[in-house]
Amino acid sequence: MPPPDLALIERLLYDEADCLDRADLDAWFELYTEDSDYWMPVSPDQTDPHSHISLFYDNHLMMEIRRRNFGHDFAASMEYPIRCSHIISNIRITNSDDTAVHCQVTSNFQTVVYYKDQNIYAGKYTHDIVRRDERYLIQHKRVDLINCDAELGNVVIYL
Amino acid sequence: MSNGASTNDLETLVEPTRVHRRVYTDPEIFALEMERIWGHAWIYVGHESQVPKPGSYITTEVGLDPVIMVRGDDDKVRVLYNRCRHKGAKLSAQCSGTLDYFRCPYHGWTYRKNGDLRGVPAREGYPQTGFNPGDQGLVALAQVDNIRGFVFATKSPSAPQLRTYLGAAAATLENIADRAPAGKVEIAGGRLRYKHPCNWKMFIENLNDAMHPMIAHSSVGMAARNYMKSQPEGTTYPREAEILFPFGSSYEFFDTMGVTGLANGHGYMGGASSIHTAYSEIPGYWEAMVDSYGENRAKEILSSNRHNTIFYPSFTAKDAIQAVRVARPRSVNETVIETYHFKLIGAPDEMFERTILYSRLINSSSGMVGPDDLDCYARMQEALCSSASDWVDLSRYAETDRRHNDALTGCGTSDLAARNQFSAWSKLMAAGN
Repeated sequence: MPPPDLALIERLLYDEADCLDRADLDAWFELYTEDSDYWMPVSPDQTDPHSHISLFYDNHLMMEIRRRNFGHDFAASMEYPIRCSHIISNIRITNSDDTAVHCQVTSNFQTVVYYKDQNIYAGKYTHDIVRRDERYLIQHKRVDLINCDAELGNVVIYL
Repeated sequence: MSNGASTNDLETLVEPTRVHRRVYTDPEIFALEMERIWGHAWIYVGHESQVPKPGSYITTEVGLDPVIMVRGDDDKVRVLYNRCRHKGAKLSAQCSGTLDYFRCPYHGWTYRKNGDLRGVPAREGYPQTGFNPGDQGLVALAQVDNIRGFVFATKSPSAPQLRTYLGAAAATLENIADRAPAGKVEIAGGRLRYKHPCNWKMFIENLNDAMHPMIAHSSVGMAARNYMKSQPEGTTYPREAEILFPFGSSYEFFDTMGVTGLANGHGYMGGASSIHTAYSEIPGYWEAMVDSYGENRAKEILSSNRHNTIFYPSFTAKDAIQAVRVARPRSVNETVIETYHFKLIGAPDEMFERTILYSRLINSSSGMVGPDDLDCYARMQEALCSSASDWVDLSRYAETDRRHNDALTGCGTSDLAARNQFSAWSKLMAAGN
């Protein structure tokens, strides 16, 4: 069986960053499996999204609803341009099954978000990814902000 | 009249059905509010379950004053100013913890769990200075009391007792605890701290404003419906949809819910019904309630369905959701909203998971509802600085308020709650003169 293909994995992470940089949630959504979720804990080392509050914990259903609400004409918080710039580095494959179909990949990110004001978010990504033919898709994404427990304003886009 | 003008004209700022924009934008008025409203009212501090054993403490603020809530060796929960008696440094910078005594990191003065001064390094340096350790304990807030573990404190020795001050609003706290089969609740599941670029009153007023959900939150309901329509016919509505849909309810729905204003600015929406009434049942919960209380009492407890109860000026609670939000003002145009969650002891875990789901969808910085509310407050804060017009309107259904003893009631989309809050505001602001 082939080992995990780091170049292919990097391409996935960069493609995802590119979708978010352009605030294109429809294209972003295509990079996720149909049983995916997106989690941004509010506490460092948080282990549980169900009985502990999080900033985001969107299952596939909520990802569907959120992307339909994103940029909606009737939402006050959406009446502003959103532009992002993601820098991802320190990419490491931290876990992989024998067939390299399922892998866990961690990386560091720094993201500048221009939404009313310019804000910097930084932390660690953990992607659980699945091989589908010639590409990988994201099954679970966890975003650990270094200031997850700080007083935060609106965070209206996935980081 | 411009911002920064003198504050000796307070009585001209609040009229029966309108308020002057300065109440939201003038830093001098904010400073007076901290003294006369936040310095006299009972302010929510925390829940006793956050300090389960002697030495456990949390830190927070009452108005702008840093405070510590700590359980003593005598099991008593005290609220003390978080300020060393020596040079005034904040004693604890942690949000919470457990310790044997507090130690100031600057010159090493130490204090016992009850606030008494424990030690001063090199005390021989105070000969004939009149220094008396007995006078140098941490200052306690004037009054501290709790209802079913919800701890409030006031800086005012002359404030009425907590239950008198809260009146019928206290029933919401009783109801939250009664909803636990074991009759008690505990804080669990972490907290949210959400920075709002607005005056504290905008947040508090909005929680009993039923004219905004169908506008400000309409997009979320549409997005959810749009998605559900894309699903095969007969798909059951997931819990997320059950939570989000009612935010788009009609004016008639909210009118029927009704609004109640109580003395001292408190109030609530709903009672018999709310946006939470139609939630599906969670398996095992009803049975656990009947086991504890019997069918009649269980039915009675669960029939109370207040939407948001306002404990003016600092605290708001949802009985049917077991989540509370606390306003911590920072300046005239900045307020931090904290959200806490309560576990019903003896209830199935799924009850708490619904509390968390609700709170994440509604109260989080990345929620589907909170960010639109916040943006509307920010817009008001920005535009009320304009002298285009000096007045903010509160006249909706002003002529139809009905009074029953201490309570004012009206249809849900009335501005009654805001008028009632400003009536308390005027009384407290004038009392400080």
